[in-house]
Amino acid sequence: MSVRIAPEARGSSSTVAVTRRAAALQVLTCAVALLYGSAAAEAPRRLEPFPHSPPPPFTLANLDGATVVLGDLRGSPVLVHFFATWCEPCKAEFATLAQLAARRPQIKILAINVGEPAVRVRAFAAAEKIALPILLDADRKVTKAWHVSVLPTTVVLDEAHTARLHVEGDLDWSRDDTVSAIDALTNRKP
Amino acid sequence: MHLTRRTWLKGSASAALATTLPAAAGASTTFAPTPGAWRTFQLVTRLEIAPSAGATQAWVPLPSFSEPDWFKPAGSTWTTNANAAALRKEAKYGAEFVHLEWAKTDAPAVVEVTSRFATRDRAIDLGKPGTVAPLSQAERKLYTDATSLIVTDGIVKTTSDKIVAGASSDLDKARRIYEWVVENTFRNPKTRGCGIGDIASMLTSGNLNGKCADLNALYVGLARAAGLPARDVYGLRVAPSKFGYKSLGAGSEVVTKAQHCRAEIYLDGFGWVPVDPADVRKVVLEEPPGNLPLTDEKVAQARKVLFGAWEMNWLAYNVAHEVALPGSKGPPVEFLMYPQAETVAGRLDCLDPDTLTYKITAKEVAA
Repeated sequence: MSVRIAPEARGSSSTVAVTRRAAALQVLTCAVALLYGSAAAEAPRRLEPFPHSPPPPFTLANLDGATVVLGDLRGSPVLVHFFATWCEPCKAEFATLAQLAARRPQIKILAINVGEPAVRVRAFAAAEKIALPILLDADRKVTKAWHVSVLPTTVVLDEAHTARLHVEGDLDWSRDDTVSAIDALTNRKP
Repeated sequence: MHLTRRTWLKGSASAALATTLPAAAGASTTFAPTPGAWRTFQLVTRLEIAPSAGATQAWVPLPSFSEPDWFKPAGSTWTTNANAAALRKEAKYGAEFVHLEWAKTDAPAVVEVTSRFATRDRAIDLGKPGTVAPLSQAERKLYTDATSLIVTDGIVKTTSDKIVAGASSDLDKARRIYEWVVENTFRNPKTRGCGIGDIASMLTSGNLNGKCADLNALYVGLARAAGLPARDVYGLRVAPSKFGYKSLGAGSEVVTKAQHCRAEIYLDGFGWVPVDPADVRKVVLEEPPGNLPLTDEKVAQARKVLFGAWEMNWLAYNVAHEVALPGSKGPPVEFLMYPQAETVAGRLDCLDPDTLTYKITAKEVAA
């Protein structure tokens, strides 16, 4: 008999043999579950319709100190990705964001760091070999205006920059269903 | 809500298992902080910032938290080549720090702050409620309100509600949250500094690992979401543990990297109660030989004691969140536990010794 154990890091889980003691624990936890009701089965995280009021346009500095205006990208779909250097799931997510950027170059990806000093973000980008544009939301104003309460969070804008999809938590951006969901709103044929 | 079923069940089961933990008696070293003799320490914090093309500023936290029963600050002095240096007090929580300003110089900007304080162990007998001063309405609001990182709604509230459902008292709620954090979190040695404490992100991602500013912030947020006043206390370990816990003490007089954040919860009849679930997870990870099971005797002792007691081989800086640094062009810092500095290039990374060099030493001295 085997059972998944709680992962220490996002995206990792392991299967271990269940000892008699662990099996007894399972019995106990099942009994407790009856007390609290059954939780829904875990489903893979995916893009969902954007649930908030339209987020405002923004102008932020990038890591070089240059100003980036979201409106300048109108006509292109945009992924607005909120992250922080301390966020463990964010690190792995950058790899699949880079894959998406290569697979769909017409999609602009803006990674917005939340509330950290530029020098720290620069060091992180270098260490993680991140080539995506990184903007700095030092005072978290954009983060709040975009209803972001969890990192990472990503919002997908269509060509008219209407917020259409979002996901709270990390996502595998190389997954076919993820790419299809973005293609569907950008009218691009896969 | 993304809290996983297995995570939730693990916490639920812990409430039952906690009552079957092995007794601490018989351990090779008894972990028993008890209010006794006061100890006096001297702390020296030295910053050296490379010459900059423009003005430089620094903010050095002081051990200024004051509680007559267990922590008495005894003042700070400093020597510096700064053009201006002043003691400042943050308005909302009363955190104190030295603010320094340098004009453009060719020499490094240097400051050495010397602080003294007295402290003694804390232990609350949770079996004997007494008469304690009630929190004022303002204090109750301050310590139950959300901050930008310690949110109290959404997933934090739903998680807290499940943890405390059916609890018989505030003490029961406080203990259930403690056991839940101990059971469900992990200390992550790769987390930079002490972590940041974005508890909604932790719960949503299911990534419940981090260090003290993550794990104890989770405790504080879950408690506040249950309506219980709670607060982080940001500080620094200054001496070895006299109870033999290598993981719970400073290894030498150099304590530059010994920052540690603890938590308190206010309970009627007991006052501010010290807790430290993050240190239980530190014992699990680091106490030799390392990676101990929760059933290990040393872990069990720490788990039992750290709900209600602290060994005071540690100093308390403050309980402040979102501290605006006077004169800074940057945003507030999440908490003021590390020295901070800015040059014309912007805020330096307090966690990176290559950009902000500082050394902190601590030693016990005669009162």
